[in-house]
Amino acid sequence: MEDKNMDLKKFNMTDEELFARVDNTALDSEKITAPRYSYWHSVFRVFFRKKINIFVLALLALVIIFAYVYPLFSGYDRFANLLNGAAKHLTPGAAMEMFGKNIHWILGAGASGESTFDAVWNGARISISLAFICAAINLTVGVVVGAVWGFSKKVDLVMQEVYNIVGNVPYILLISVMVMIFSASFWTMVLAMTVTGWLSIAYFIRTQVIIIRDREYNLASRCLGTSTIRIAMKNILPFMTSVIVTLTATEIPSYISYEVFLSYIGMGLSEMSLGKLIYAAESAMVTPGWGFEFWSPVVVASIITVVLYVVGQNLGDASDPRTHM
Amino acid sequence: MTKYLINRIIRAVISVVIVVAIVMVMIYALLDRNLIFAADPVFSHQANNQKQTYKLRKWEEYGYLDYVPYAEWLKELAGNGEIDEETRAAAVGFGRTPEADTGVVAEYVEKFTNYYESRGYKVERLNAVMAGRRVADGGQQQLYAYRDIPLSNRLLSYFGNLFQVDNIHRVDGELVGERGLTFTLYDPLYGGEKFSPAIIGNGTQHKYLLYFDNQFPFIHQNLLTLNLGKSYSVNTGVDIFHTMTRSQGSYKLSTVLYPTGHVEQSADDLHTATYAPDSREGSILYESRFVDDYTNVLTVNSNKSKLGFSFTIGIMSVILSYLLGVPLGILMARKKDKLIDKLGTIYIVFIIAVPSLAYIFLFKAIGGKLGLPTTFEMDSTNRLMYVLPVISLALPSIANLMKWLRRYMIDQMNSDYVKFARSGGLSEGEIFTKHILKNAAIPVIHGIPGSVLFAMTGAIITERVYVVPGAGNLLTKAINQYDNGVIVGVTLFYAVLSVTSLILGDVLMSMVDPRISFSSKAR
Repeated sequence: MEDKNMDLKKFNMTDEELFARVDNTALDSEKITAPRYSYWHSVFRVFFRKKINIFVLALLALVIIFAYVYPLFSGYDRFANLLNGAAKHLTPGAAMEMFGKNIHWILGAGASGESTFDAVWNGARISISLAFICAAINLTVGVVVGAVWGFSKKVDLVMQEVYNIVGNVPYILLISVMVMIFSASFWTMVLAMTVTGWLSIAYFIRTQVIIIRDREYNLASRCLGTSTIRIAMKNILPFMTSVIVTLTATEIPSYISYEVFLSYIGMGLSEMSLGKLIYAAESAMVTPGWGFEFWSPVVVASIITVVLYVVGQNLGDASDPRTHM
Repeated sequence: MTKYLINRIIRAVISVVIVVAIVMVMIYALLDRNLIFAADPVFSHQANNQKQTYKLRKWEEYGYLDYVPYAEWLKELAGNGEIDEETRAAAVGFGRTPEADTGVVAEYVEKFTNYYESRGYKVERLNAVMAGRRVADGGQQQLYAYRDIPLSNRLLSYFGNLFQVDNIHRVDGELVGERGLTFTLYDPLYGGEKFSPAIIGNGTQHKYLLYFDNQFPFIHQNLLTLNLGKSYSVNTGVDIFHTMTRSQGSYKLSTVLYPTGHVEQSADDLHTATYAPDSREGSILYESRFVDDYTNVLTVNSNKSKLGFSFTIGIMSVILSYLLGVPLGILMARKKDKLIDKLGTIYIVFIIAVPSLAYIFLFKAIGGKLGLPTTFEMDSTNRLMYVLPVISLALPSIANLMKWLRRYMIDQMNSDYVKFARSGGLSEGEIFTKHILKNAAIPVIHGIPGSVLFAMTGAIITERVYVVPGAGNLLTKAINQYDNGVIVGVTLFYAVLSVTSLILGDVLMSMVDPRISFSSKAR
């Protein structure tokens, strides 16, 4: 430990050289200094403080790479081995024996002799895209409508009834009507999932807005003449960031789950999404030796949804300013 | 409170009507109506013009449109006395082509056309389809008018016919004896000696309007019946209400005493007899058993109805989830950030994030390994087959209860009243069970009526995975088979359940928490 008390004489300087008078102005003494605070910087600092988040984020990156980059190189063709009777329903061991040891066959082969591994990631790409697009549309519309709904009492009266009515129209019916009118394509499914999907999000946001709307700081802000738009954008929206992020975290996996569910009851996409793969391989579950066909898409769907959910939840926690201390 | 409730109920009824209207628009106007013939074996045997009229007849039967053939119109005119029988006979035979019509035919065809076109109908005349010199199979000439039923009429007639009150002028056909009601203290079905009051109608749709038997709830009535419409393909020709509530499985035989005195081992439930005109003519079977035309009986089957199976499984899982979810939620809140809380959170994340299909299959596989039955067999007496469906159904609701109860309790933990209780020297256990739980449980209580009522609708995936003969698949089945009647009926059922459970939830909440009052709602 160094001795803090130094003898000034050893510098061999005069007092004038050693010290200068600090300018003491009234204006400077009024300033309050605080450490620099950047919201998003703090969000990520808190987020990365948990070691598990780094792991989950890495897993998410891996999933994205496999779902979006890997299919570009895998050259997946569902019907490439269709005529090869010996290539169907193979266990990983048998498939690797037949086609050689490479990554395509580590999960075996499916009903038409296709590589299960490639099929799963191809399906994952469709399912993840669907989930992200639906979530983007529903959250945007839902948050905007929910904000208006929460602010205006007149809109609230009307929207309450709309919510009661639309909420009671069976969702499966709505989707099947859409699918019958258009076709079971990707964009039909997006339309079907977003045509009423924003309503429940808007309702959730409305409740949050009502809770925050009449707080004292907003009342004070209004008294000072702040416009409603500015109150919504500057006073309330930042307050809701963590709520919206948490909502996103639950919404995105729920679309994947819902797509799986719809495909399972036979109302899903025509493309081979994860749900469609599960639906198509349902009979394989009980057949000995065919289990990989069925469990691979199930497990991959579960991994994707859990990873997205955990990332979103922890990001939601981190984006709450109260955790930034 | 009463005024508020009445207001709520009126609004609920209106929103149910609007929901049904929306669904009707979707299925009657937006969907391709040719799809209903997809599963109709008769349809593929029709050819040429007959195919067209068959379609129109069926569409009329299933409520799409109003269809009037030329001959029917003439019959109606003759019935009203506007034309005499001779003119009718002369006018009815219209030609194979319009050019072949004779004077009186041409006159009435024109009248028919003008009359219906002025009322907004579309009049069509199909010329005979010839195969050489003969008329081709099903190729007879046709003349008819039709019009789509407007939504308002359809809604009115649907809700108008929803409740049907039986009366003695209900049936038109011939009857044995006088129309009227008889009240008896000794039900003839039990030999006329056992004391069992019954009201028997003649001229009514149902023979027995009120009767007692040994089935829960022991007293039954047929006076007021619910008419949700008829099924077209899911359960052809059977009423939707019956599709959901009728017992299933093998016949349950018992000694039945028929009105003629014939005694037989049979599954017929004579109390359900309804009128079937002229059914005894030419049927030795009926003639030897029945003394009148109330011959259409339902059978007694040994198993529960679709609704019964769904409700049994549903209610057991609701009970299980409250029994497990509530204590676990409390435990998680008490041991916040401890091991048990973390384990619980992992479980909640698993259930929320993993697609329900995946964990239901997972539990099916685990249960199968443990030796539990993985498929439901209707006539099996093995009670273990209920275990896996009940668990699968309870898993998500347990997670949900745990999640919310933990959240609400933790939110309450820093309240002033908790600090006050603690400073007053109450033990943690007392604070949690007597103070925090009471406040935190209020939003949970709001959901109880909903979970009990929705136990009836059944669960789509669980019932499919375990092959439960329940009501959960009714809607998806109906949609896949284009069965409009069932779709509307089931939608109405779901909508009524949903609005009822919301209102009941609010009432229950205001009963538990005296601070909540709906009479002067200030926000």
